[in-house]
Amino acid sequence: MATANPIDYLPIIIQFIVAIGFVIFGMIGSHLLGPKKHSKVKDDSFECGIEAQGNARLPFNVKYFLTAILFVLFDVEVIFMYPWAVNFRDNLGNGTWFWEMILFVVFLMLGFLYIIKKGALDWD
Amino acid sequence: MKAIIILSALGLATMFVGVYNFKKALLPMILLGLLAVIGINTMEWNTNIHYYNDMLYFDNWAVSFTNLILAVSILVFLLSGQYFKKNTDHLEDNYSIIIFTIIGAILMVSYSNLAMLFIGIETLSISLYILAGSKKTSLASNEASLKYFLMGSFATGFLLFGIVLLYGASGTFHLHGIKDYVIENHASLPTIFYVGILLMMVGLAFKISIVPFHFWTADVYEGSPTLITAFMATVVKIAGFAAFLRLFFTCFSSITEHFVPILCILAVLTMFLGNITAVYQNNFKRMLAFSSISHAGYMLLAIIALKESSFIAILLYTAAYSVATITAFAVLLMIKAAHQENDSIDTFNGLAKRSPFMAFTLTIAMLSLAGIPITGGFFAKYYLFANTISAGYTWLVVLAVFNSAIGVYYYFKVIIAAYFKEGSEEKLSIFPAYQLVLIITAIATLLLGILPGLITEMM
Amino acid sequence: MTEIPLQHILFLSTALFFIGVYGFFTRKNMITMLMSVELILNSVNINFIAFNKYLFADKLDGIFFTIFIIVIAAAEAAVAIAIIINLYRSHKSIDVDETNEMKY
Repeated sequence: MATANPIDYLPIIIQFIVAIGFVIFGMIGSHLLGPKKHSKVKDDSFECGIEAQGNARLPFNVKYFLTAILFVLFDVEVIFMYPWAVNFRDNLGNGTWFWEMILFVVFLMLGFLYIIKKGALDWD
Repeated sequence: MKAIIILSALGLATMFVGVYNFKKALLPMILLGLLAVIGINTMEWNTNIHYYNDMLYFDNWAVSFTNLILAVSILVFLLSGQYFKKNTDHLEDNYSIIIFTIIGAILMVSYSNLAMLFIGIETLSISLYILAGSKKTSLASNEASLKYFLMGSFATGFLLFGIVLLYGASGTFHLHGIKDYVIENHASLPTIFYVGILLMMVGLAFKISIVPFHFWTADVYEGSPTLITAFMATVVKIAGFAAFLRLFFTCFSSITEHFVPILCILAVLTMFLGNITAVYQNNFKRMLAFSSISHAGYMLLAIIALKESSFIAILLYTAAYSVATITAFAVLLMIKAAHQENDSIDTFNGLAKRSPFMAFTLTIAMLSLAGIPITGGFFAKYYLFANTISAGYTWLVVLAVFNSAIGVYYYFKVIIAAYFKEGSEEKLSIFPAYQLVLIITAIATLLLGILPGLITEMM
Repeated sequence: MTEIPLQHILFLSTALFFIGVYGFFTRKNMITMLMSVELILNSVNINFIAFNKYLFADKLDGIFFTIFIIVIAAAEAAVAIAIIINLYRSHKSIDVDETNEMKY
């Protein structure tokens, strides 16, 4: 294995500094350079349209959480396809190689069909 | 192995049969399916096949523990028909999750790779977190679910850290690979290997509620829906102990001196704390929770003995314990079905007059749990203790017998309530399914006590 | 100079593990406790990858185990969020101290 000196990690440190520096620069710069006009209308969250009402930190509708949870579940399953795909070319001769993944996807799809049938994705 | 595949298909089928509104067909389909799985599973007897790159190994122990789990599940499903009658909204969800739990349990009794152990435990646990909270409107049920989840996932972390340390030392997940590694490096095992054993022990002890990792048990058993408690108290214990014994017997039986002293201390603590706390409980479900902790203490003796015959001891003991526990919960469910939303032991008052049959079966179950002769519990305890004595731990058995004597006190409290206390005079009618379950469990308990040779000679 | 030694990575993962354990014991917010559990699981993942790469680089056992851990952690988190939402509806709070329906 190639040897590495602590100095070799310098680019990473520089990248960190640049990233943090850009954020600081952007925040301070826009604060200093931008024109400042204060008025009741200007300080509203939304300058046009209907007036903002109430607190922004209202509880979300639980439907959002449901969708988010389902997304996480189906999203993570994709991880199993990576090792399969990486070795796809080497295993083309292996008869069941392709169908195993099809079976896996069929199971996933059955789960998907189930949540649709259960109405978990209905918005009303 | 075929059992797992068929059960997965059954679980999926259950989901979709429910969704397409054939809810009436669910229970018969599941019961037939489970019976068929028992038959198919029994055909693997003596085949000793290694499946999937040696991920699973179905030896005779795996086959018999699988059959025990399936038989207990059939009893639970027989009870479930009435239990879910009022609330059928999520019937198919409950049923399919129970089936997935069974799959997890089967993985736990048949693994030969730590990855499979992990997946089995998680399939079992995650399904049970949901089942514990399945009574959505009940505060206690939600709370039980949360406590079970927090403790369970924390234990999983320990188990995983144990697995990773074993992997770091030996470089393999295969039980036989680890065994070979231990034998080769017997003199110079690295420290992380011992820490790994210790952490895995902690993780597994959480799952089977060994003191000092027991504190979730009472709350979870009390808060969960009663039927789920019955399922949890039996199937999880069977699978947990089978997994514990399989791991320690296969891998670490040549270095017992490093962990058996710890297990001895845990066993003594578990027995005493479980029994003494159970004496003070007025809630029947809590009492059974602490009694299950004390039974875990007795069963730990089989793991301390760590011999081939420990498998028979655990098999007999879990069988006797599960059957008796199912009886107790079935009687409780039946009484609660008559509009008494109360789990106190007082609900059994005057049961002998209200329904002599239920009082009789409850008595058999309590005698079996207490370990009184001619019931299954007695013989199982006898075999377990004899097995431990022959391994040279007589002092532990003396303490265990002393504890059984404490146990008799609180089990008899229930019998006394049923026979000698005055309660409501109203006759209790009994559902046919419950009657069937009670008859089966009573016969099984007596059969295990009178003809234990049926199981011990088969092995 | 050489590459980063295995010990450093193990130190990191052990530290993460105990930060998770500490967080689990001291925090009262259910979401934070869930995060602590995830920290524990991820410390295990780091360990697996490190052992696999440094000690047993000829096989990929350890890396595949992490895939299973990631997937199961996601399933666990999904169930946890569901439980917490359900509890929030009845308690109007996600503080574990509020869950005292049953006591010893």
